Amino acid sequence: MKEGFYHYLRDRVFVRSAHLAEILKMVSVKKVKKNEMLLMRGLICRNVFFVEKGLLRLYAIDESGKEHIIQFAPENWFLSERASLYFGNPSEYFIDALEDSSLVVFDQEFIERASDISVEFRNYNEYLLQNHIRHLQNRIHSLIGADAKSRYLKFIDLYPEIVQRVPQWMVASYLGITPESLSRVRRDIALFK
Amino acid sequence: MKTRSIEVVVPPREPHYVGDGFRVHNFIPGAYRLDMKRMDPFIMLDYNSRFYFPPTDKPRGVSVHPHRGFETVTVAYKGRVAHHDSTGGGGVIGEGDVQWMTAASGILHKEYHEEQFSREGGDFQMVQLWVNLPAKFKMSPPKYQGIPNEDIAKVSLDNDAGLIEVIAGDYNGTTGSAQTFSPVHMMNSKLKEGGVAKFSFPSDHNTGILVIEGSVVVNQSESVPTDHFVLFENDGTDFSLEAREDSVVLVLSGKPLNEPIAAHGPFVMNTHQEIVQAINDFHTGKFGYLEE
Repeated sequence: MKEGFYHYLRDRVFVRSAHLAEILKMVSVKKVKKNEMLLMRGLICRNVFFVEKGLLRLYAIDESGKEHIIQFAPENWFLSERASLYFGNPSEYFIDALEDSSLVVFDQEFIERASDISVEFRNYNEYLLQNHIRHLQNRIHSLIGADAKSRYLKFIDLYPEIVQRVPQWMVASYLGITPESLSRVRRDIALFK
Repeated sequence: MKTRSIEVVVPPREPHYVGDGFRVHNFIPGAYRLDMKRMDPFIMLDYNSRFYFPPTDKPRGVSVHPHRGFETVTVAYKGRVAHHDSTGGGGVIGEGDVQWMTAASGILHKEYHEEQFSREGGDFQMVQLWVNLPAKFKMSPPKYQGIPNEDIAKVSLDNDAGLIEVIAGDYNGTTGSAQTFSPVHMMNSKLKEGGVAKFSFPSDHNTGILVIEGSVVVNQSESVPTDHFVLFENDGTDFSLEAREDSVVLVLSGKPLNEPIAAHGPFVMNTHQEIVQAINDFHTGKFGYLEE
């Protein structure tokens, strides 16, 4: 248990071995079944989820009942609803599991305490935040300025195996296009390969 | 010539494993008074004191990991290590050899016990050092110097006292073959029982010794046992070692860079911003590729 998170902290964050055990003690593990909800709209998000195995998503539901997927989180990704977690606002989003998943769960206080223990953790957390902003900026640009094909190509670059793990309509929802135009894009790409 | 006095004799700390192949005592930067600044430009020293690894079919070691901003120097005393890096470099170092790898702008590498050594098992004993690079060379291209024992300059001491293997820098006019980016002296002093060796380095050079085998008397006054590190003051130039038994001592002396240090795991740069850049470059594949 926590082995994926341990390896992540050791091999990617480069937390020193002397600090690893202390940091790992402060997180818990959670196993969820496919379709299980981890956050509902209107509630305050208290947790960050690290995916050791499985797949989560963050999404909104509009007035007509349509789902808009903001983010997928496969193995070694973190997922949270940052606005709610950090500012304490009721969440506008939902988080659920798209596959049976093993998660490591922690809260905002953990981030502060782990940052005090390990300068590597602090640096890496800053890197992740900046990286998240970069990613969101690219996503806005893509949604307002790019056609369906280039959005799709960026998607498979970012999430190489998710196309095989989720239904087409979810990919279309993430890209902000209709499932029909996604099929068209995929056909075009296949033809011109 | 003023004698350089002893600042502190540092005993080995509890060993920990790096990967599953290196059972090391960390001296720099973990030990008391041995932070990265005090022994600048030597910013890390892990010592795998002599340790028996039993035979295994699966070589022990450290899997692929990056480095940026400094040089890694491995001095092998017992056992053999095979290494590979993302520039296509690789090789085996064994007893008496030195590997001097300039990670500089970035490299991925892995180090495992050499296959035959793993199969047979045996004593393993090595020092790994990180030598910091001056700011202007931190982003220079990576390179590799493999220095087999026969290429290491040797100086025979008078009175059949033993010999000095000059890895880098200078001993009484004999120069080591390792090229360095700042003044660094690194040598193995192999003394016979009763043998005496004298050393002289500029007083501003940060200087220390690690007793690998045997035991020595430093400056005719302080007896230092195996696996202990001696940090010298910067109050003089000269010191002496006298072997109480056949001994091997690693001698280190370097002119401090006196530049800011920002360290994050395997990246050692000058500013926080450069650290974040290193993390980003690592994640976006700018360190190249190396198969696990």
